[in-house]
Amino acid sequence: MRLKGKTAFVTGGRGGIGRAICARFEAEGAQVFAGDLSDTGSLDRAAAHGQYVALDVADEAAVKAAMAHIEAQVGKLDILVNAAGIEIEKTIEDTSLDEWNRSFAVNVTGTFLTSKHALPLLRKAARDGATASLINFGSYDGFIADPGLAAYCATKGAVHALTRAMACDHGPEGIRVNAICPGYIDTPMLQSFFEGDGSGAAGKTIDQLQQAVRDVHPMRSYGTPEDIANLVTWLASDEARYASGQLWVLDGGLSAQVQQMRL
Amino acid sequence: MTRLAGKRAFVTGGRQGIGRGIVEAFLAEGAEVITCGRGPAPDGLPCAWQSLDVADPDQVNDVAQTIGKIDILVNNAGVQVERTVTDSTDADWDAVMGVNARGVFNTCRAFIPLMGSGAIVNIGSISGRHADPSMALYNASKAFVHGLTRSIAVDHGPDIRCNAICPGWIETGMLEAGFALAREPEKARADALARHPVRRFGRPEDIAAMAVWLASDEAAFATGQMFTVDGGMTAASPIQPGLL
Repeated sequence: MRLKGKTAFVTGGRGGIGRAICARFEAEGAQVFAGDLSDTGSLDRAAAHGQYVALDVADEAAVKAAMAHIEAQVGKLDILVNAAGIEIEKTIEDTSLDEWNRSFAVNVTGTFLTSKHALPLLRKAARDGATASLINFGSYDGFIADPGLAAYCATKGAVHALTRAMACDHGPEGIRVNAICPGYIDTPMLQSFFEGDGSGAAGKTIDQLQQAVRDVHPMRSYGTPEDIANLVTWLASDEARYASGQLWVLDGGLSAQVQQMRL
Repeated sequence: MTRLAGKRAFVTGGRQGIGRGIVEAFLAEGAEVITCGRGPAPDGLPCAWQSLDVADPDQVNDVAQTIGKIDILVNNAGVQVERTVTDSTDADWDAVMGVNARGVFNTCRAFIPLMGSGAIVNIGSISGRHADPSMALYNASKAFVHGLTRSIAVDHGPDIRCNAICPGWIETGMLEAGFALAREPEKARADALARHPVRRFGRPEDIAAMAVWLASDEAAFATGQMFTVDGGMTAASPIQPGLL
């Protein structure tokens, strides 16, 4: 029970990775709120973990209402996880201004808004030597590019910089800020990438493509939402009380290597 | 083309490949150039030659005293052994770390006092930042070069600037030998090419162009950094579904 007594708010809490985080947080003893556009989320099925809070992270009024709800129920927030995110699978030439703006609205502005309005509640948790933990979702795509994901790559680079900036600004208040940078994780977003034209893999079966992707990973597999939840749990816990301002790549070794040529 | 006019440069490993490209570019920019390598000077070398094993500190110190003051030091000499950690021998360690790591240390230690001021350009590698498979000692030796580059920039500025270039796949004998070992050499070459956004491999003159800039006064504010020149390869993910 590594999070006993803590209150956590997970945005995108009904998505692939968000669900795993909510389940794990509850198993570790936290009281969990799960914000998402709908209670069934991108998986389109019922969820068992975390009290659902209706939330569009790009809507400031909705963000404020969610924080007011948590304040009324608990009065503090120890952990904020900004897991809400969307992906547009296009080059910049094919990306409309609306798509670009929507990408930034969710991935960057959403992270800004939830963080901004969670700060008063995080401060209430960061007392008497305890720290509060704010965990953003970057991506290995914020370091190196996947083809046909231009807006997504740009938003994740922005999240990385924002993570460091917030860590500097709010560290003195006892608020730790980190980002997790997942590689290939088995989520609806990844399946959409496999199926989409943007991947450049049209003509291959999904199974063939998935196996080829596994083969490029030093660990010979891609990750699960539970792998990500493991690191989120550590960063949220008191064990990580000295961890702040860092970008934590969790990708099965994918980005440790130079490109894998067929030799 | 006189961006290095009046400057005196020592380039290690100028017999062939990237080093030879740097020698020729420096000469074209008006520098006086001295290069070195193990054994006698190659035929047709357009500059002065010192017979030198950079792994041997005594030899390096002697050559430094012979050469005297220089403005530019380029540590290009390097060797590569294609093995994992468990397959690597003590002799492999001595060969790779001796030249790639200790060699760079030896020349920097010997020449910095003689330079007074100037620029050091080390040849690191993209392999010092991301691992190439079965190149364990080489990858580690290049990471050493990157670390030493930062240390020299910090310790010996403002008089000495020190930067590293991280080349990607450059068309040298080493690259051709790699393709020759592939199961399907032509397919391997096509696959590798497709992973380069510029759709070609590097040439020694591509690296030499960056070396000229880093050595020139145009780069007066550049120090302590790694400059990757790889045709865009490491900007992309190792997974490119179109190639799987």
